[in-house]
Parts: sequence; C-alpha cells; structure tokens
Amino acid sequence: MNNTYFDLLDYMIYGTAILIILIGLYGALVKKSLIKIVIGLSVVDSGVNLLIVAIGYLKGGTAPIFSPGYLANPIKMVDPVPQALVLTAIVIGFGVTAVALALVIRLYRHHGTLNIDEIKDLKW
Amino acid sequence: MVGTPVLFIVIPLLAAFLIPLLGMLWKELVRIVPGLVLAYMLVLSVNLLNHVLIYGPIVEVIAGWRPPLGINLVFSAFSGFLVTLVVFMGLLIWVYSYRFKRNVDFEPAKKYFLLLMMLITGSVGIILTGDIFNMFVFIEITGISGYALTAFYTGRDSAEASFKYLMLGSIASTFLLLAIMIIYSQVGTLNMADIASKMHTIKPVYKIISFIFFITAIGIEAEIFPLNGWAPDAYTEAPGPVGAAFAGIVVKASVYAIVRYVYTIFDLSGAYDFLILIGLITLIMAETAAIRQERLKRMLAYSSIGQMGLVMVAFGMGTEEGVFAALFMILNHAIIKSLLFFSGSYLVYNSKHKYIKEVNGMSKYLPITSLLFALGAFAIVGLPPFAGFWSKLSMLTAAADSNMLFIIALVLIVSVVELVYYLRVVNRIYFFNKEEKTEPKKPTFNALIVMITLGALILVIGFYPDAITGILHKASADLMDKGQYIHDVLSLNK
Amino acid sequence: MNYIILVVFLGGALLTFFAGKINNVLQDILFLASILVPASLFFAYVHAGNIFNLTLGGIHLSLGINAMSWLFALIVLGLGSMAAFYSVSFMKGKERRGYFYFNFILTIMAMTGILMSRDLVSFFIFWEIMTWSSYLMTVYNGKDVQTVGIKYFVFSAIGAYAMLMAIVVIHSINGSFMIEDLVRSFPEMPVNMQILIPVLLLTGFGVKAAIMPLHVWAPGAYSNAPMAYTSIFSGALSKMGIYGMVIVMVSLLSYVPEGYWFREVIAWMGGITAVIGTLWAIKQDDAKKLLAYSSIAQLGYIIVGIGIGTPLAMMAGLFLAVVHALFKGTLFLAVGAIERQTGTSNFREVTGLIRKMPWTFVASLISIISLAGIPPMGGFVGKWMLYESLLTSNHYLLVIVIFFSSTAAFLYCYKFLFGFFLGQEEKEWANVKEAPVLMVVPMLILSFFSFLLGTYPGIILKPIDAGMQYLGYGITQNHLWQTSVIFNTWGNQVVLQPLLYSIIAIFLFFLIFLTIKSFKQTRYVTTKDISSSGEVPKEHENLTFSVDFMQPFMRAVEPVMRRQIDKYYTGLANGLEALFDFMRKIYTGNGQTYAIYVIVFVVILLLFKDILF
Repeated sequence: MNNTYFDLLDYMIYGTAILIILIGLYGALVKKSLIKIVIGLSVVDSGVNLLIVAIGYLKGGTAPIFSPGYLANPIKMVDPVPQALVLTAIVIGFGVTAVALALVIRLYRHHGTLNIDEIKDLKW
Repeated sequence: MVGTPVLFIVIPLLAAFLIPLLGMLWKELVRIVPGLVLAYMLVLSVNLLNHVLIYGPIVEVIAGWRPPLGINLVFSAFSGFLVTLVVFMGLLIWVYSYRFKRNVDFEPAKKYFLLLMMLITGSVGIILTGDIFNMFVFIEITGISGYALTAFYTGRDSAEASFKYLMLGSIASTFLLLAIMIIYSQVGTLNMADIASKMHTIKPVYKIISFIFFITAIGIEAEIFPLNGWAPDAYTEAPGPVGAAFAGIVVKASVYAIVRYVYTIFDLSGAYDFLILIGLITLIMAETAAIRQERLKRMLAYSSIGQMGLVMVAFGMGTEEGVFAALFMILNHAIIKSLLFFSGSYLVYNSKHKYIKEVNGMSKYLPITSLLFALGAFAIVGLPPFAGFWSKLSMLTAAADSNMLFIIALVLIVSVVELVYYLRVVNRIYFFNKEEKTEPKKPTFNALIVMITLGALILVIGFYPDAITGILHKASADLMDKGQYIHDVLSLNK
Repeated sequence: MNYIILVVFLGGALLTFFAGKINNVLQDILFLASILVPASLFFAYVHAGNIFNLTLGGIHLSLGINAMSWLFALIVLGLGSMAAFYSVSFMKGKERRGYFYFNFILTIMAMTGILMSRDLVSFFIFWEIMTWSSYLMTVYNGKDVQTVGIKYFVFSAIGAYAMLMAIVVIHSINGSFMIEDLVRSFPEMPVNMQILIPVLLLTGFGVKAAIMPLHVWAPGAYSNAPMAYTSIFSGALSKMGIYGMVIVMVSLLSYVPEGYWFREVIAWMGGITAVIGTLWAIKQDDAKKLLAYSSIAQLGYIIVGIGIGTPLAMMAGLFLAVVHALFKGTLFLAVGAIERQTGTSNFREVTGLIRKMPWTFVASLISIISLAGIPPMGGFVGKWMLYESLLTSNHYLLVIVIFFSSTAAFLYCYKFLFGFFLGQEEKEWANVKEAPVLMVVPMLILSFFSFLLGTYPGIILKPIDAGMQYLGYGITQNHLWQTSVIFNTWGNQVVLQPLLYSIIAIFLFFLIFLTIKSFKQTRYVTTKDISSSGEVPKEHENLTFSVDFMQPFMRAVEPVMRRQIDKYYTGLANGLEALFDFMRKIYTGNGQTYAIYVIVFVVILLLFKDILF
C-alpha cells in the first residue's frame, strides 16, 4: 500500500509481530511438553494475526465503518480486508487448538506422558 | 446447465451440518445422505464438465461481488476434471464405507460421514476457488477434518499420527497466511487472476519469499520431502477408506494448489525446475523408504508419496505434454492407489499392526481381493496393458521431448525399486503359507463392488486410453493458457 | 487379419482360464484350440501385405509381419504348439491349471505380438506382457519366489526400462514410434544418440537373450518354471531377445561407423557367455539347471553369429536359433517327462532309465547330438557355418573360444545322457513307466526336425535367406549357404544325404549285431555284482560315476568360476537395501523433528533463493 509513513512505530509493530512468531516457534520446536507445543503454535498464530492487522494499518486512519458523516468529512480509513481475514484466521486457529488439545488428552491417556520424545511409536 | 459451481461447496457443507440433525430423525439417514449428495455432485460435475469442454470455463461470482473484489469460483476444464475426479473418488469411498461400523452404535458413523463430507468440501473448494484467502480457508477445513479422521480409531496410535499431522498443518497455515499477506501488501488484492495480472509489478524479493512460503505451506499438504513426515503415519493409522481419501482426494487438491501457484499466479521461471527438483527428491526418498517397510499401509503410503513426487516432476516440465502426463498420472494414481488401499486393508483386516507378513497366503481365503491387489500392484508399476503404463509412457515421452534424459533414467531406476517391493507383497499373498494368527476377513458386498469397479477402470483405461485422453488434453491446454484464465475471470468486471 | 490372431489368443486365454471351473477336459480342449487355431490362422492368412493400423491414446500403432519376423514366428508357434500338446498331459492332475494355461497362451500371444509389431510402443507392450506372464510362470511352483522370481523380474524390468528409455528418446528425435522411421533416420542422428540408443536397446534385448553380464536370472528362472513352459521359455522366448538384437545390429548399426565396435563387443560378449554358460552347466547336478546354463551357452553362439554380422555369420546365428529351439525345447520336455515319471531331475538320484523310457531316450539322444554339434543333426550344420564365418572374417581368437566351449560342452552332454539313461538300474526306479503318448510324440516330432535339418538344412535356410534379404543383405540368386565349404564340397542342397545314409547303415548294423548278440546266452546279474580293486560295493553306494568324472577339469577352471557375477549383483542389491533402510531413518517418528525439517527447508530455500528462482 502507499504507506509513506515508515517511522519507528511501524517497525515496532512489525518487529513485535515477528518476535511473537519467533517466540511461538521456539516453544513449538524446542519444548518437549505437548501442552507447551500447542501453546507455542497458538502464539505463532497470534503473531501472524498481529502482523496481518499491522499490514492493513494506516497511520491516522479511522475504523473502516461507513458512518453518515463520512462523505461530509472524508478521512482515511484503515484497510478493512486484513481485519476480516484476521477474524477468520482467529476462528480457524481456535478450532485447530481445540483439536490439538483433544489429541493431547488422548495421547496422555494412551502413553501416560506428555513428552513428545517418548511418543514415537510410528517411525521410519 | 443444471447447476452452478457454488453447489459443490454449499451442498456438501450443508449435508455435513445436517447429518447429525437428520440422524435424530432416522439413524440410517446418516449413511444415506452423504451418498445422495455425492451422487448428485457427480452428476452435476459431469454435466458441468461437458458444458465446459464445449463452451469454455464457468466463472461464478459469489454474493454479487465481482472479481477482483469478491470471491469467485472457476470451473474450467482443468479444475472441472479434478473436481469430477475428487467427487467420483468420494462416492466410491462412500460406497466402500457404507456398512462401516454398521453393527456398532451410530455415533462413529455420524462423525465419520460428517468429517468425510467436510474433507470433500474442503478439497473441492481448494480446486474451485479463485481467491487465495478463500483457498486458505478451504485448506484449513480439509486439514481439520483430516486431523480428526486420522484420529478416528481410538485404540491405536492414531492420536500420535494425528498430532504430527496437526503440528505440521498449523505450521503450514502460518506460512500460508504470511505468504498471502505478503502478496496482499504488495498488490492489494486476493483474487488469483488479479494477482497474476499484477505479478510483474511486485519486487522480485517479495515475490520469491512469498512463493517460498506458499510452496512450504502447500508442500506440507502435498507431501513433498522433507515436509511429509506426517503422511506415512496418518495413512497408516487412519481407517482404510480415509487412507484412500488422502491419496485420492486431499493430495490431489494440494497438488492442484501448487500447480495453480506455479503456472498461473507466479511468473517465476525457476519454479518449474524447482518442482522437478523437489519432485525427484520426494520420489527417491519415498520409494527407497518403502522397500524395507514392515507394515503394509505404511508401504502404500510411501509409495503414494513417491507417486506424487513423480506427478510433481511431470508438472515441472512446464510443457503441455508434461501437464497431460501429470494429469494422467493423477487420475491413475487416484484409481490404482485407492484400489490398493481398499484391497490392502482387507488383506490385513483383523491385524492390529498391519504387518506385511500378515498377508501371507491370503489368496486362498480372499481370492478376488488378492487378485485385485495384484492387478493394482502391476498397474501402479506401469506394466502394460494396465492403466499405469500409459501415464508412465506419456510422462517419459514428455520428459524426452524436454531433453531430460537424466531424469528419465532416474525415474526408471526408482521404478525398479517400486517394482521390487510391490512384487514382494504380491508374492507373499500368492506363494507363502498363511501365518497362524491371521484371520482372513471376507470383504463386504459394497467393498467388493468398489474394488471391482476400480479394477475394471484400470483395465478399461489400459486397453482403451482414448476414453480419457481427450478430457486430459483439454484440461492441460486449459492450465497452460494463463492469459485466458485471467481474461475469463476479470472480464466479468465489465 | 493379424490383430484377429491376437484377439483369439487373448479370448482363448480367458476362456481357458474360466473353463477350469466347469470341466477339466473342456479346459484342455480350449487350451489346445487357443494355441492351434491362431497358429494355423497365422500360417494360412498372415503375409507381409496385410498391415493393421490403430491409434490408441494418441499413439499410432501398427501390426504386420515381414520375412524376418515370420521366421521367428515359425519358432514360436511351432514350438509353442508342440509344447501345448505336451502340456495337456503334463498338467494332468496338477493344481493351478488355469493359471498355467492362461500364462502359457498369454506368452505365446505376446511373442506373436512382438513379432508383428511395426512400432516401438506395441513392441514394448507385448514385450512387457511377455515378461510378466513368464514371470508368473517362473513362480508357478511357489519355490524361491522372493529370490529367483524377483531376480528375473528385476533384470527384465531393467532391460525393459532401458528399452523404454530408448523408445522415448527415439520418439523425441523422430516424432514417431514406427520402427521403419527409426531405421530410416538412424544414420542421420547425432553420434551420441547413435551410441546411446543401441546400447539401451541391446541392454533390453540382452537381458532376454541372457547375454553375459545380464544372464544371472536365467538358471533360476528356467529351472523353476514348469518344464513344459521352460521349453518355450528357453526355446522361443529367449529368441525374442535375439530377434531384437538382429534388428538393432543389422538395421541400425550396419549403417553407421560405430557399428564396428558394437559388432566386436557383442560378438565377444557372446563368446564369453558361451564359455561361462558351458562351464557352469558342467558343474550342475540337476538336469534343469544344466540345461538352463546350456541354454545360456547356446544363446552365446547365436549372439556371436549375429554380432559378427557377415552374411554367413548371420545365417549361422539364425540357423542356430532355429535349431536351438528344436533341441533345447526337446531336452526340457524330456526332463519334464523324467521329472513327472520319477519325481526328481537330479542325476545323482535317477539312473538307468533307458529301458524304462526308451522314447524319451531316443528324443534326448538326437537332441543331445544336435546340441553337441555332431553330424548328422542340425546343430552340426549351424556350428560349421559359424566356425566358417568366424574364420573367413578373421576372428581367430573367437574361434578358439567357441571351440573350447563346444568341446567342453561334450562333458555335460555326456553327463546328461549317462546320468539319466545309462548306468545302473536302481531298484527305486524299477516301476518307472514311459511318459504318456501326448508327451512323447511332441518330443519325437521336435527331434525329428533336428534330424531333418541336419540333412536338409535348405528347408529352414530358405526362410532365413528371405528374412536376411528383407533386412538388406544383398543376396544373389545363389543361395548363400551353397557357397559354404561344407555344402560346396559335397555338392548341392541334398549334400548331407550320403552322410545320413552311412550313419543309418552303421546304426542298423549295430542294431542287428546287438540283436544277434542278445540271442546268445546272457548271464543277468544285479547291478551291484561288480567289484573294483577287490572291493565289493555295498548296497547303497552310489556307483554313478557320471556325476563326478570331470572333477579334474573343474579344478582347472575353478579360478574362473569363483568370480560369480551373481555375487556382485547380490552384494549390490543388499548394499542398496541397507542404504535405503538407513535413509528412511530420517523419518524419526518425532513430530517436533518433522517441524524442524519444515523450518530448515524454509531457511534453505531462503538462503539459496537466488540460485533456485
């Protein structure tokens, strides 16, 4: 988008989002507990969602609502599409997390442990 | 015309949600409704495909928003062919699993058919949609129903397989979202045709990074190496028909997505060679992993992955011949691999771990199933006069015309490996003595019908490939014509 | 017409298979009909003129015959019909009859199809049908299926895939699958293609013809298949490899300068094959294995002839191909008969069958004489022509090799005859009967032709002449074989008749002599009534010296024998499997590892993005 205001705030938003993604990846890839892995994956999701919203953000823009006074006093709106997408992505992320937790319960009942290194009956 | 493409998404989705409710009225409806829906979809898709082959693609606009703003569905020769294939496989899977768990309570059946309908909705949606975010949603629908179907049996290690699938799946969705947002931030649109027409305006570095994220994300679903760690586990632990659904439906949809990105949306010349490279690596790793497998379904899973690698190689040639060969292989793989999964799961029906040695001597107890498995094995390694031969021949001819002698040699060498492990199983079925513990299970009438249908198809295509090549030629021409696709979608604006 | 024959074969195969569910006799009749009807249709109606075209899957297929393929069809259908009669008796009371008959007919169909193919795709299709139907026969007994069976199929597949690669390469150059287009355009192809295409094609054909480094499947496959089938396996199916080699060597390679090296190399490989096959044949105790190795050796001679490629050598090779089908077909049938009547095919166990199975003996004797290349049998004529062609084309070293192999072959010829038929009559085999008529008659017919060709070689040399003319050997009105020394010395076409008459006279003389002698008072003793060096043999001592008499010779050639190519192949296969087994450890089973693979994949792609895209 034609965003000319590349100042510190933008970098901070992007930076934060990427940091959150990396933190989530760390949790998912390094931690051995299944619960922590699921948490990590959720954190990654949140980071991505933040990044998407940040892309649609327009400095000084208003909420993308078509209000009666809009035509009289046109001001910039932030891009509504990323927000819509994020809503969808959040719902999907929620669904995936729910399935994941259900599986974690099953795994715990079956194996008696939450350590992912011990759950590898299927291999090679 | 009898319907529009949107019905392919609305009807199965509606059916999926209605199944629990209808089950309250009459339990048998849970089993009947999916069949009716799939049969209707098959009729519809065949009709639409006929229409499309004569009059050109149908672009459907949803909710009145014209492209590039709204979501649109594209039913062209290429996507129409794949939808027909997917729906046909879905119908066969329904017939096969109609009596599934009949004697148990109807709860599992309800869940099973609900999830199966979701899976088919998602896959059909991936193929039909003309919007990248919409495709993301459908990939997630497919993914979530896939996780649940993998974990369907509670007694086994299915939760483990499902969890691996889910882990990789959610990483895939992360990358997919990132890729979509990179594209969106650059061109400000989510419509495939619109993106394709504006692709030259994007800076190469963004283009390449988003492509890498796309290929990673969809590569996980399409089982390319090294992203396919989940696949053998999921195939092994999922119920037999679901394994066939993965091989016949989900992977096909994912490969479609990759192909759409490489051929239509992106204009990276290196992408074709990259497809060949990963296709070859996938082929080699999977086929070599299959040779020493101890479990039948796992072997079939690796074989399936290898076949998809081969399809990828064919797509990577970037010529119309290559696409034709790839589509032919997709068709044959769907038919043959499903047959192998169906008959294979009866050969090791009562076994917990599905070891290959448990098929020993089954030919005396399950003659028809064994014969069909052998037929499938012969067909998939490409022996004439069965179906697999023609696709292999067209693939190699296309490769030779693109001057890829090294690839031909490599593919043929890997074929020898494939031949060895399939023959070993067939030999076990026919020439070994039965293990003491194994109990043969006669296939149900439905299963037998499905297997015989698939076997007959293998023979029909084998003896008369012209039955299918006409459609394949049109479909491959359709995929190659990128300008026409953009025109068809965007001209609705005017 | 020609496609109708294939359809009749196929329909017959299916009908025969399912007829077994109704009635066994009906099945036998259907089986014979579905071999004999198309065979007679072939000889009655098919001629070079009728060509059948078909477009399948966008590929132009074409069927028709020529003089060369007619010659090979004669081998296939002639031997096939004889073996079919034999099979009916052979299969009586055995299980999997439908399976046997189905694959038998399918193999004959596939071979006929190969010979009719005028384009490479139908050639390949029939080639593969031949491969898997013959594979299904090698595993018929269910014995060693995972070793012998797989080995056969893997080698066949390597050959077939080499051929397939050649076919698609040819298509990419020519834009056509037709063989005649290939022949026409081959001299203009780039040099690397002129080398690559023949190498690939010869690999494919070499596997079926069991040429030296590709022969290791043959002993197991030949000896594991039912003998009624092995006779066409060795007699006719291996000739398909020869047929393909003839086309490559003559139609392609004789028009390009590289052809010289191909001819030399192929001829030498044939020579080495002959020696190795012979040495291993000598070592065998099992008649099936012996004949299998002997087949390899005999095919070596044929390949030498084809490899040299001078008109006389080609003629010798083709003549030997026909004769080999006759005598090796007979010998495998004879072993089948012996095995059926006694239950074993091991020389160490079976001896002294000459009085029990006299007709089988007669057929074996004639065939063995023919195999050894002794007049007045067909084998002699072929070998003579081969020597002569080698000498006239200055391949003196090769002559020595062939001569060595031929001479050494006497050892196993003797072993075969003596081991089964002569020697002491064991009590164990006192009740053995002659094989049924339907088995004996085909053997006798085939051996009669071995005999006939020794005397009237012109019968088969005429079609060979025609075939060679089709291939482009410019032959004048004088038949080539008449210029050969042997024929020249003795005059004209009926050259060998004096020889024949003298041998018949000698035979009759001995017959009369023996008859007279037998009228005298003879003292009958048990076979153990002998003594050597004052020691009386015990009851169960094996006095059959026939099996070990060549020990000194074997010790002499032992260093050659120790280097079995088979071992290298096995080592390679095991090594590869171990490597593959190691490679799949990358699927560790840990979901987290898989996730790390994904991240690594992305990072690698990002790092190398400039190279990749």
